Amino acid sequence: MAKEEKPKIKMAVYWGAACGGCCVSVLDVHEKLFDVVAAADLVFWPIALDIKYKDVEAMPDGDIDLTLYNGAVRNSENERLAKLLRQKSKILVAYGSCAHMGGIPGLANFSTREELFERIYDTTESTENPDNIRPQPEYKVPEGVLELPEFYNDVRTLNQVVDVDYYLPGCPPQTERLVEVFMAIVTGAELPSKGSVVGALDKSQCDECPREKSDKKLVKRFYRPFEIEDDGKTCFLEQGVICLGPATRGGCGVRCIEGNAPCRGCYGPPPDVPDPGAKMMSAIATMIDENDPEAIEKVIDTIDDPAGTFYRFSLPGSILRRKIT
Amino acid sequence: MEEEKRIGVYVCWCGTNIAKMVDVVDVAKEIGKLPNVVIAKDYKYMCSDPGQELIIKDIKEHNLDRVVVSACSPRIHELTFRKALQNAGLNPYMFEMANIREQVSWVHTDRGEATRKAKSLVAAAVNRITWHESLDKRTVDINPATMIIGGGIAGISAALEIGNSGRKIFLIEKENKLGGHLAGVDLTFPYMYSADQILKPLIKQVTNNPNIEVFLNTQIDEVFGYVGNFETKITPGDGKEVELKFGNVIVASGLKPYDPGGIENYGYGKLPNVITSLEFEQMLKKGKIVTKEGAEPKNVAIIHCVGSRNKDYHEYCSRICCMTALKFSNQLRSALPDTNIFECYADIRSFGKGCEEFYAQTSRKDIMFLMFDQKNDLPRIRKAETMDECDMLIEFNELLSGEDIEVPADMVVLMVALEAQENARDIAHAVGVSMCGNEFYIERHPKLDPVATTTDGVYVVGGCQSPKDIPDSISQARAAAARILATINIGQVEVEVTTAVVNEDICCGCQTCVNVCPYTAISFDEEKGVSVVNEVLCKGCGTCGSTCPTGAIRSRHFTDKQILSQIEGLMSTSIELQEV
Repeated sequence: MAKEEKPKIKMAVYWGAACGGCCVSVLDVHEKLFDVVAAADLVFWPIALDIKYKDVEAMPDGDIDLTLYNGAVRNSENERLAKLLRQKSKILVAYGSCAHMGGIPGLANFSTREELFERIYDTTESTENPDNIRPQPEYKVPEGVLELPEFYNDVRTLNQVVDVDYYLPGCPPQTERLVEVFMAIVTGAELPSKGSVVGALDKSQCDECPREKSDKKLVKRFYRPFEIEDDGKTCFLEQGVICLGPATRGGCGVRCIEGNAPCRGCYGPPPDVPDPGAKMMSAIATMIDENDPEAIEKVIDTIDDPAGTFYRFSLPGSILRRKIT
Repeated sequence: MEEEKRIGVYVCWCGTNIAKMVDVVDVAKEIGKLPNVVIAKDYKYMCSDPGQELIIKDIKEHNLDRVVVSACSPRIHELTFRKALQNAGLNPYMFEMANIREQVSWVHTDRGEATRKAKSLVAAAVNRITWHESLDKRTVDINPATMIIGGGIAGISAALEIGNSGRKIFLIEKENKLGGHLAGVDLTFPYMYSADQILKPLIKQVTNNPNIEVFLNTQIDEVFGYVGNFETKITPGDGKEVELKFGNVIVASGLKPYDPGGIENYGYGKLPNVITSLEFEQMLKKGKIVTKEGAEPKNVAIIHCVGSRNKDYHEYCSRICCMTALKFSNQLRSALPDTNIFECYADIRSFGKGCEEFYAQTSRKDIMFLMFDQKNDLPRIRKAETMDECDMLIEFNELLSGEDIEVPADMVVLMVALEAQENARDIAHAVGVSMCGNEFYIERHPKLDPVATTTDGVYVVGGCQSPKDIPDSISQARAAAARILATINIGQVEVEVTTAVVNEDICCGCQTCVNVCPYTAISFDEEKGVSVVNEVLCKGCGTCGSTCPTGAIRSRHFTDKQILSQIEGLMSTSIELQEV
């Protein structure tokens, strides 16, 4: 806890292309919020405080000690704020899966902007849009010009737009991990080297996973979790349920697995794995207990939504990055 | 991490081989601008002594710590240049080769494009070598004993070659006697030597040789260890378990005849006088050629390529059947001077010493050669009517005359294909060799290394590798014996250094890697909860590294970092790639 005489640090929280869950995870510190507020002045936090962009623009460069940027970079507004906050912050943290690797919004990289617009503004079952109206960055009305942020073709991670100091993964990050990192910063503890992933382990989920595992990872078909009766104790992969645990950093406390749901990979890959989806796919490929190409094909067909499964949180940040159009 | 590297790049002309299609001077000039490249030169023949001297001199003068040579395939000269580095006091793995001959100058016709591609490949090599690490050679002692699986002519020949030199042999045979298929053969083509006279003295030598221990009625389950230090447990016929330790393995497990019952046209198993080549050989050996009814056949037809060279059966040529068929005709003619003999063939393949001559001689012995379409129109054999005055009729379109014909036969000999043994897969698994699609074992290199395999210390000889005649099987057996005696003589063997290594700080113990290793080099350490690579067994194939979902397994010299940097280099626009 920060001592009385110590000056408070200035802290900002911002959301890019995000669901709001990351901001809520900051609130989830519960009573520790008092410690946070005692140690930090929140100078910008759109979900909770009415501080305008122009107020941030007015701050001197490097004035904010710590910014937690959550959400991916999907539009020109996200990008502008990422650049602005980079300029105004001493430490910029990519907070949560979306800022870290692109997250769930990053799955949109399997489509083009046009395909997305067509679905949203045209073919959705509940849509009626006979004039085929699409959002425009600028729209002239008698009173002047109305502006909307430009919707980009690509979803990008924060570090594809600005220089990032640390990554705090998770969808959302576990609040305890945030508090640890926050406290390290306010107490002036020695910080890890720039570019590090903080608030997560180097070892992957399996290391903490309580389920029994062996080298018998051979399956004749894959199952979605609801398709089998989980025995509650055997490694999901050995039961034929795809679990991204082996290719995902530990640190979350294996909460999904404790809740009898396989890991979906929100904590991102262990160090030195540039593409967790590819890593997991080649691991999964070795588990197929068939030799005949046609039989193998059939087993692969039992994997529901492979792209969305293996790249659920990591597409923009992976080598694959997006579907080539 | 980003400490300075001192890279020397050498672009070879290969005389005109490369220089004709690639602007080597320009490649060197552009590559010289890349970061960390201290020196970039072009030279007429990098592999020549002056070329190597140039590298050695530069390493010393310019304090280079890494060298890229852009020339031919690393298959040809990687070792040459690694040695040059060693002579200059550098670790040989601080070297990378970019192949701008086989992959560029020899396959392109546009000089500008070829030069551009050469630059990309060299830039990739420069990017990669930045991440190279020194690796040290390791050696293991060789146990001078050898295990041979299979007591046919190949196994026997290898056993004698090594046994006679004073080294221990364990000869494992699954049947109750030595000799393999040759024991069932009467005369051998093309010189008509008696098989017994070849084989029996050799078997006697084997049983009398104190260095050769023969285990009959014995099969191999599993072999553990690595080159120089293998071991296995066997249970010979008497039921007592024996533990064997040996430094090398020769697999000479042979092959088996194809069962023609599956080819409906030939009626094997239904028509009693349709027999296989092996059954006919037995008749010859007994000296009595008779039909099932006990009569001398007046018409004998020999059908070639039974189960060979046809997409429904085996697509390959079984290699020895043509000559065996000609041998049959010769023996038939001598035994039954008045019998009509028909050779129904697809092609006669009489290559090899003395074989074409043998074919020519045979064709002068009043034997009818009739050609059929092996791919699309196999002959059909049916029971003849009484009025036909023969037991069966073979009906097909004779290709040379174009006529649809019927050939009378009282006996039909099917020249059956040769195929991999029933237990080929088990043996492959036990000793760690790979099989081709036909389940024959794969040699390390089809031209340059025809008896070694990708598992050090394991050799494949004779019919288990592909159908072979006697001299070829013996040649291979003795070649393997020579290879093994050479390693025994040295006493030690170098083992692969580009192995996989597990980072225990990252390995999460998921065990995905354990079963993918084709060399059983990975095991799981229950106590530490991590996978462990036995570096002597590891061949550095990289399967585990690409399987490992955590990135804990690194394939030395083929790390993700090295490969991805190479790809980045290939894609990079940091150098002027356009035609100048």
